[in-house]
Amino acid sequence: MYRSTGFVSFVLRRLTGIALVLYLIAHIWVIGSVNGGTELFNSRLAAVQTPIFKLAEVALLAAVVYHAFDGVRLLIVHYFDVTEYRKSLFYAAFVVSAILTIAGGLPILLFAFQG
Amino acid sequence: MRVFQIQRISAIALLVFLTIHMTVVHYPPFHIDFGRIIDRMGQPLWKAIDIAFLFFVLLHAISGSYAVLIDLGGVARMKRTLAASAILLAIVGFVYGTLTILAFQPPV
Amino acid sequence: MASPVRSKSMATVRVKRFNPDSDAKPYMQEFQVPNLQGTTLLDALHRIKHEQDGSLTFRRSCRHAICGSCAMNVNGRNILVCKTPLQGQLDRKGVVTIKPLPYLPIIKDLVVDRSTFWNEYLRVKPWLVPPATSPEREFRMSPEEVAALHNAETCIMCGACYSACQVVALNKKYIGPHALLKSFLRVLDPRDTIPGERLAEVGTDEGVFRCHTIFNCIDACPKNLNPTQAIETLRRLAQKRTAFEAARVERQRTIAGPLAAEPTPAAEGGVRHVP
Ligand code: FES
Repeated sequence: MYRSTGFVSFVLRRLTGIALVLYLIAHIWVIGSVNGGTELFNSRLAAVQTPIFKLAEVALLAAVVYHAFDGVRLLIVHYFDVTEYRKSLFYAAFVVSAILTIAGGLPILLFAFQG
Repeated sequence: MRVFQIQRISAIALLVFLTIHMTVVHYPPFHIDFGRIIDRMGQPLWKAIDIAFLFFVLLHAISGSYAVLIDLGGVARMKRTLAASAILLAIVGFVYGTLTILAFQPPV
Repeated sequence: MASPVRSKSMATVRVKRFNPDSDAKPYMQEFQVPNLQGTTLLDALHRIKHEQDGSLTFRRSCRHAICGSCAMNVNGRNILVCKTPLQGQLDRKGVVTIKPLPYLPIIKDLVVDRSTFWNEYLRVKPWLVPPATSPEREFRMSPEEVAALHNAETCIMCGACYSACQVVALNKKYIGPHALLKSFLRVLDPRDTIPGERLAEVGTDEGVFRCHTIFNCIDACPKNLNPTQAIETLRRLAQKRTAFEAARVERQRTIAGPLAAEPTPAAEGGVRHVP
């Protein structure tokens, strides 16, 4: 393991990517229940509206947002010659996704725990 | 087309679709309102948008998983089997997902 | 920079040792060497070998950063020990840790097996394949074209980038940053007659499209080269390979007449052809 910001970004990209694939499977399973009728759909949706899942939702948001901005960072590197700024770009992607996660996650948590 | 290009093109598409999805579906309100879902999902335009979204999500997820797996030297030897199962999985996922999207009807 | 380290009279060098004949697995060993200004890490290793343990094994040759033998992993970074001062690498306790290049099989102590490195290098045909006949006029490159090479010709093949690459660590079938950098240099060389063939070779899932843009190669390069940018350029060129090759043929034809575009036997045999 050769430690660098690039390595960290690579590991995070892979981990969030795998997590999102797992989420996608679960998402298709939940939403797919509409094929089985209203009752099934409602019960499955209710099961994923509990506070624990609200917390998981914030984690999901963080993963999506980080993965997205990491991707934007890579696209910038692909299409513009900006390898000198690799460290700043990495930190920028990190900070932007952190801000968006907080901005999006706080309302979710406030709503979940205050009703 | 290469996995690499599929990954980039679907990524750009996802940036658009995900922004739409997040703003329209989740913010606000913060609890999932079944009435709203049904209303929205009843419109053909939204069905089309969601089917396109599904298509790009599947492309991105499956080509991404494929890339993660063949990065490992050992798995790379089973490239063909892996590619075949990825394509199969994508088709199954797309058909099932499309059927699900179409199944949302106003009088549910 | 005055730091407490400089005042210590001895420096501790922790070296990863491994002798395949007697050791089951590698272990760390500490040596004390005088902490003198102007001493490089290579000097320190020499001192240990000459005065303390003659069995310490490492590669070096030129000792002024041009042969590429002495790349090692020092404090977690791949560097050339011959051009790195000892004092700059000591931590607060006066310790420096030297390990062989990571991800490659260790032959003995600090010497690693670089055969995959060289095999991948040969795979991209690192030599120039010039036109069959030398043109009357020279192949001129504009200053912009030269600048676009980012000094890629100054690579010394030390293996620092290759062994820092996470993709190489996972999959030794990957061509690797060193060979892709060389391929980039040849593809952009106006004298080269086979840019299309080169782009077909590197424009695959084992070549430029396997790179995950981790930038370790740039971080590791002791010559401040930029393999990542070379890979990005090759990616773009690989997607318009035919047009690029046609432009090359046209360029050579306008310089040297129609004959120049024909491929030479050197393309296969690797005959070094001096125009
Ligand atoms: S000994 Fe030649 S590069 Fe260091």
